[in-house]
Amino acid sequence: MMAVTSQAVTSRTADRTAGEGAVVPPRADCVADPAGGLVLDLTGFGDADGAHLVLRHRDGGQEVRLPLAPAADGRPRAVLPGGAELPEGCWDAFAQSAGGTAERLVSGLNDLRSLVDRVPDGADDRIGVRIPYATKHGNLSVRSWLRAPHAEAGELHPGQEALEVRGRVYGAALTPDAYAELAGRAGEEPRRAGVHRDGAEFRFTVVWAGLPQGDRDLWLRPAGEDGPRVRIARLLDDIVDKQSVLVYPKVTLETERGAVTAGPYYTTDNDLAVTVTAADS
Amino acid sequence: MQISFLIHNAYGIGGTIRTTYNLANTLAEQHDVEIVSVFRHREEPVFACDPRVGLRHLVDLRKDGPGYEGDRPEYREPARTFPKEEIRYGQYSALTDRRIARHLSTVDADVVVGTRPGLNVLLARQTRRGPVRVGQEHLTLDSHSAGLRAELRAAYPRLDAVTTTTEADARAYRAKMRLPGVRVEAVPNSVPVPAVAPADGSAKWVVAAGRLAPVKRYGLLIRAFDQVRAQRPDWRLRIYGSGKQKDKLRRLIDDLGLYNHVLLMGPAHPIEPEWVKGSVAAVTSSMESFGMTIVEAMRCGLPVVSTDCPHGPGEIIDNGVDGRLVPVGDVGAIAGGLLELINDDALRRQMADAALKASERFDPARIAERYESLFSGLVTRNRGSVTGRMRGPLHRTRGALLGGAYAVRGAGLSALGKERSA
Repeated sequence: MMAVTSQAVTSRTADRTAGEGAVVPPRADCVADPAGGLVLDLTGFGDADGAHLVLRHRDGGQEVRLPLAPAADGRPRAVLPGGAELPEGCWDAFAQSAGGTAERLVSGLNDLRSLVDRVPDGADDRIGVRIPYATKHGNLSVRSWLRAPHAEAGELHPGQEALEVRGRVYGAALTPDAYAELAGRAGEEPRRAGVHRDGAEFRFTVVWAGLPQGDRDLWLRPAGEDGPRVRIARLLDDIVDKQSVLVYPKVTLETERGAVTAGPYYTTDNDLAVTVTAADS
Repeated sequence: MQISFLIHNAYGIGGTIRTTYNLANTLAEQHDVEIVSVFRHREEPVFACDPRVGLRHLVDLRKDGPGYEGDRPEYREPARTFPKEEIRYGQYSALTDRRIARHLSTVDADVVVGTRPGLNVLLARQTRRGPVRVGQEHLTLDSHSAGLRAELRAAYPRLDAVTTTTEADARAYRAKMRLPGVRVEAVPNSVPVPAVAPADGSAKWVVAAGRLAPVKRYGLLIRAFDQVRAQRPDWRLRIYGSGKQKDKLRRLIDDLGLYNHVLLMGPAHPIEPEWVKGSVAAVTSSMESFGMTIVEAMRCGLPVVSTDCPHGPGEIIDNGVDGRLVPVGDVGAIAGGLLELINDDALRRQMADAALKASERFDPARIAERYESLFSGLVTRNRGSVTGRMRGPLHRTRGALLGGAYAVRGAGLSALGKERSA
């Protein structure tokens, strides 16, 4: 009776200008496995034969090409194994048919339950984390981290006098020489904090008193001065942008130069930092 | 049957819109279905629309489009026939009045379905003789102002049926409105089977999802979780959603020192992959006109601990069997309900299985069957009526009038076209 004007599949992208009969971009559903691997299934894409799923590093020309092959349900599937090298950064996902141009993939369902509270195999020296997510335009990108060794931040306990940081180190042993380092971003001499260790788990406190204004990145030196310098970061879960979700209160301190606020935060790379800034009057 | 839905804006995001697509898409397997949207402000609908469902609009508000009508003088004149007491009144105009009147006086359908009070009033008054007139109530009678209730009382006797989402609200309509000859029937909202596998009950997370609005009482949930943490520090809570209460809830989390245990996740679309990251769901509202999130969580294999608030939760949850109902506003009872499921792995898994099974009754196929039987009964009654609304033979297209069972829809369509991610 009525003219069919709608389309079977609706794009998640906002305000596309194309009208009725527009070509709907292909969509990818992702399932993450506990070892850091990703399985990507495509809908709205043609023949898998000779086609690739292409990941392009946002900061440069680096490209990872994964062959597409039909899965059991017939959808073209690409697999990024947990052990595959995927350098750190943000990767935009495309699908490219044999001889065709790369089409940006729309983000579908991301089943990331196996990334929640992920505990990597202790035997792994290298920690690889890939979190697929939808960009603000609804497209699929994959955020990747690759760390060896890695210091995973756990619970943070911010207090009036100090911040207690708890965490776990992967790919390095904690020795009696272990300490934590607070490194300013303007080449200042780093400060040190003593580390309590319990197997691979560590904790230390950052005392606010005397800490000058500015941002400081937190590093772990598991074997002291002579060993590796390991960035403390929070990577082992499904949350792509920690700073909007893992939020901690700031404390206000009176100093000789006036009131300041101090507290921890995660950087856009999900690395742990602390900041001391002049309090708003 | 030819079934025509009339909706405020089929291109937006919201519970009524989602549930209308779920129903229309399923009914379209057996019937001719169209969705008529009063407004259209974007090119494509956010939710997936089955290609068999006709979708059209009455007023074009696509800003840069050639057919934009938002600058017409008639669009700026206030509405005269759309009820003044309706919350959406400000968005209606002389132009919508005229377009809706023309649509309803010429609508080619056996059944016309309105999806909000203001449209139901127009549908009662302006639909041409012939089609069955059904008004859906997606909120509740009690949530409307006295003025709107008076308008409904005057117009609704001209409907053939009013549907509510709960039995409690149907009882309210029967008790408080004089609706002789009008069928008042509760038909719950539908929720499709999720496109992800159900939760396995091992994750030590409680999950809640909804607008961060006062009615959701998330402050109670956070306080209850403070008690949970005291006993089970290995369990944590995720609250999905955005809203005006965010800063207040953030401060409460900070004051209670729960920043390592309670996470405000922000909005998530689709929500199903987030439910399955948890093993228990929590609802602490003081009012739920239906309780869509309860059904969603149950379909994802989570038992729900919910306040026994008006109207929906008590009709969805079988207390102690597939979830737990606790008194409204009682922090200790909410904590107790959560801890009962957190501390007893066997009970949690048993209730999760029961929740999966019980929530099948909300499948779009089952809900569409209930609507179909309501609609076809009314169509038959109207045809047999001597007093009027006689019309020609029913249009039959796909399937007979009383079609067979609807396919229980798999992942496919329901997974598509969910809301944009933030």
